[in-house]
Amino acid sequence: MPALESGIRLTLPAKPENVAVVRHVLGALAEALGLPHAVTEDMRLAVTEACTNIVRHAYAGGRGPIDVTVRPRGGELQVTVADAGRGIGPSLDTAGPGLGLPLIAALSDSLEIEGSRGAGSRLIMSFLRTRDTAAIGMA
Amino acid sequence: MTGRDWNGVTDPPTRISIAAGPLVGPVLRRVVGMFAARADLPLDRLDDAVLVADVVAARAPAHVASDTVDVALESSTRSLDMCVGPLRSGGARGLIVDAAVPGVGNVIEQLADGIDVETDGEQEFLRVRLAYAGAD
Repeated sequence: MPALESGIRLTLPAKPENVAVVRHVLGALAEALGLPHAVTEDMRLAVTEACTNIVRHAYAGGRGPIDVTVRPRGGELQVTVADAGRGIGPSLDTAGPGLGLPLIAALSDSLEIEGSRGAGSRLIMSFLRTRDTAAIGMA
Repeated sequence: MTGRDWNGVTDPPTRISIAAGPLVGPVLRRVVGMFAARADLPLDRLDDAVLVADVVAARAPAHVASDTVDVALESSTRSLDMCVGPLRSGGARGLIVDAAVPGVGNVIEQLADGIDVETDGEQEFLRVRLAYAGAD
């Protein structure tokens, strides 16, 4: 498996069409690194969910960035998805089941959540590069 | 393209920063291809945009100001703007010169509809514009 010398950072407007850009970047990265299919699919789904949360909730109809960083950490890939929006808290603009964060936690090998109201949020996900089974049997 | 923020009338461009190395080519060509498609460029110009991305990926690491290749991308109707940098002083011209391929000529100069060099202190940015000739 090729080494990842350092990382990738992608900063783009929080718009629905840009979630696909993030997915393409992760796909290209996974291909170049020869990541197992299960890891690739789990990572793409988790990051898609994180980016979609930002598009839907972070800026309350306003504009702002999605910031995605991918870095190597030994045998893991660490993916950070951040925004500069209203921070993590109960959403007032959706009646959804609220499965986003639990899904991300299930798909990743570890998850840290940083942020507070009005100060943006950061989701730091780690994925083992050698795992060959999907986290929740979706891949 | 380099100084717009989130308070402006339009969104800033998408920015991608990739550690200079083997990932630059695969990642950059994918993103540029996607933005070219979003700009509704016809297939031949989309292919041209990806070719320019490949040349930038191959040649830019020798001219960057740090250890990453940074590209800002912005698509509009039938055109794609690609801003490469920060580059070292003289790096923008160096990157253009390095885009020459024996027997083919200079790939960037032949394919781009516009090339500009922007300077910000000691740093330079190479802006390349690809468009569809039939666009208004």
